Amino acid sequence: MPQLKTRMPFRKALLILLPLALVCCLLVIFYGGREQPSESISYTIADSTGDWGYPSPYTHYSRGPGYVRMSFIFETLVWKDDSSFVPALAKDWEYVEEENAYIFELHDNVTWHDGTNFTAGDVVFTFEYTKQHSYQWVDSSLVESAEAIDEYTVKLYLSQPYAPFFQSVAGTQPIIPKHIWQNVTEPEKFTDAQAVIGTGPYTLADYSQEHGTYLYKAYSDYYLGKPAVDELKFVKISEAMIPSALEQGLVNAGDVPPEIVSAMEEAELTIITAPHAWNAKLVINHQKEPLSSKQFRQALAYAINRTSLVEITQRGHALAGSPGMMPPTSDWYYPGTPQYEYDPARAKQLLEGLNYTLENDYFTKDGEELELELIAAAEFEEVGQFVKDQLEAVGIKIDFSTLEAKTVDARVEAWDFDLSIYGHGGLYEPSILNKVIVGKGFNSARYDSNQTLNQLLEAQLSEMDAEERKELVWQIQEIYAEDLPALTLYYPNWYWAHDGSIDLFYTKDGIAIGIPIPLNRLAFVR
Amino acid sequence: MRNVITYVIAFLFILTLNFLLPRMLPGDPLMAIYGNEALIAMTPELKAHLVERFALDQPLWQQFGAYLLALVQGDLGHSYYYNSSVSSVVLGRLPWTLLLVGTALIISTLLGIVLGIESGWRRGSRRDKSLLTSLMAVSGFPDFFLGILLLIGFSVTWKIFPLSGAITPYSGLSGAALVLDVLHHLFLPLTALTLCHIGASYLLPRNTMVTVLKNPYILMAKAKGLPDRVVRYKHAGRNALLPVITQTGIQLGRMVTGALFVEIVFAYPGLGYLTYEALLARDYPVLQGVLLIVAVSVLIANFLVDLSYSKLDPRIRYAH
Repeated sequence: MPQLKTRMPFRKALLILLPLALVCCLLVIFYGGREQPSESISYTIADSTGDWGYPSPYTHYSRGPGYVRMSFIFETLVWKDDSSFVPALAKDWEYVEEENAYIFELHDNVTWHDGTNFTAGDVVFTFEYTKQHSYQWVDSSLVESAEAIDEYTVKLYLSQPYAPFFQSVAGTQPIIPKHIWQNVTEPEKFTDAQAVIGTGPYTLADYSQEHGTYLYKAYSDYYLGKPAVDELKFVKISEAMIPSALEQGLVNAGDVPPEIVSAMEEAELTIITAPHAWNAKLVINHQKEPLSSKQFRQALAYAINRTSLVEITQRGHALAGSPGMMPPTSDWYYPGTPQYEYDPARAKQLLEGLNYTLENDYFTKDGEELELELIAAAEFEEVGQFVKDQLEAVGIKIDFSTLEAKTVDARVEAWDFDLSIYGHGGLYEPSILNKVIVGKGFNSARYDSNQTLNQLLEAQLSEMDAEERKELVWQIQEIYAEDLPALTLYYPNWYWAHDGSIDLFYTKDGIAIGIPIPLNRLAFVR
Repeated sequence: MRNVITYVIAFLFILTLNFLLPRMLPGDPLMAIYGNEALIAMTPELKAHLVERFALDQPLWQQFGAYLLALVQGDLGHSYYYNSSVSSVVLGRLPWTLLLVGTALIISTLLGIVLGIESGWRRGSRRDKSLLTSLMAVSGFPDFFLGILLLIGFSVTWKIFPLSGAITPYSGLSGAALVLDVLHHLFLPLTALTLCHIGASYLLPRNTMVTVLKNPYILMAKAKGLPDRVVRYKHAGRNALLPVITQTGIQLGRMVTGALFVEIVFAYPGLGYLTYEALLARDYPVLQGVLLIVAVSVLIANFLVDLSYSKLDPRIRYAH
């Protein structure tokens, strides 16, 4: 068949050439068309999750990044910079102790993004509105009532003395415009353009849920000064690609994994480190024999080398845990916290004091081998394995298994476990201690059998004097570390890299209630 | 008709599973249905409302009734993480998955068929051997691995293609430029998926060709003096298509989540990526919604395959 021979090479060639031609076309077109004219200054922030909800108070997702996106549009009475509380909507404030009330003097040159003047009426309205529709991050019962003294003065009566009032309420509750929200009955479904009218330095120009992108435009009438960039963009880039995007100059800032930090520094990017806000803990079932014994729990603490745990399981990118829970880098940290430095001999001694005897490799009591069950979610597999090895080295047999996270939570909640590993954030403000020591739920140690500790916890929440409160928080750490209802294992390091065009900083005690993200809107104003 | 009944039974079975699974999880079923977000978002009134809506205080069969009723009304549930209905979240992602996986499936199937037929026609030739070896080698890689290789080569090192996403955000592009931007972002994930799928759709027609070519009617066709191309595609090729259709049908069903890994690698906003995000956030309503859609699309794809069989090969009609 002669015709076959002539046709074959042609088809073969076509098969190879067609895709090649397509690739070339695409390349040429895109390479030519990639240049974009940019007349305005813009700043792009990379995020691997992307979508954090519509940036309005009732529709952003209840995680830190959701609040941050909202905080460029909506403001609070007070705010924080890198060292302390600073004026926001309120330019001055005063605490009236006998009435347990705060008087806030408001800025008189603030306008909402639609041009309407901001007044004390908006603040009063916000606190009244949250009584019906509570804002997800603020306990609306803490403010008894709000009263406008004049057009730019507002008085908030507290329902009880509450030390973290600025952190948890005045610095977190976004103020919403009365003229818009007074007609909104279902705030969770309010997602039109009116829902993003705030007083902040930026207005929302676009939000895309599926692409996880946000576009903000500067609000030129902002009362604290002209915003530093005209356009602010949040774009979604997968975690592994953020460093490349930073290096290629596609984005100005983004969070980077610890392993990549030195490479980022070589690329002349600025690295900033978050103050430690999160801890992983060994959760102990203190309701159950033998873990109900304080000495036994202390033996566990002596047996685990937290410094090498950090070296091995976190490759050094963390701070070893302090048994008092507050990180040593925190202002609230008590320097005298019992540390339980690694001492396997001391651990064995404590166990022997509890009538355990070492037979073969493991401790026994009344002929029964000492064996504990350790359960954890898969993310803590390495840590769990390390803890198992360390405890077995002193003679406590460990049955370690990783389970689906929900199952772990449910079993911890039902006290159906011996040991577990769990992590939580919020360590900037000592009110977290109440939530995770005596609070309810699986994420709390639910340890309420030490009356002194209970009283101290309660007292620190209502102590309005900062120095005296610190004294109480110190005592809490001492007792907590002594009783060890749970043991903090480590505080991971978190990093952001940026190109230095905006001086990003970590907010003192975190943004609002304590968000460890260096995207304080003040960095984009000054 | 009997066929339709089989499908209905399968569909009901899937619905039952989808209904039962979250209720069998440990802990509060409401928490299991709504995930962790509910912990934060749920006020007592809302909780009461949800318990009523899902009839959670009723016996199981009444709960099932409430579940079916909601489904009939197009209500796939409410995601507390996204603070919107599951159907709207899923529908937002569906077009991107269809674009990516649909295109990959079409290209890989067509290319696979043509290459397979060509390869099988001259089995043992050098071209056949080299095609077989190279396609098998490429398809042997997991799709995400190919994706990572392409990404590191073309995006990180040579900076020819974008690092992630489906469009350049806020580039101000429109019209043809926007279409090209979408294609630019589509290229690498599409290549990864196509290369992975092509092996399967190449092997089947190739193997069938080998058997089909032994049949007397091929000899007959050749003897009639028909051009080679006609014998190859019309006589032999058509018969080699059947298994490919089956396989494409199966792949079509998995289309919705088939690109999960590739979508994660390229942060492509499709259903696979949504599934991944929902898993991380433990957003059970979204997971269930995706599961249901996958299950239904598998059923529909199978049904379509059944239909197309009898069109392609009339013998099937007499088989029953």
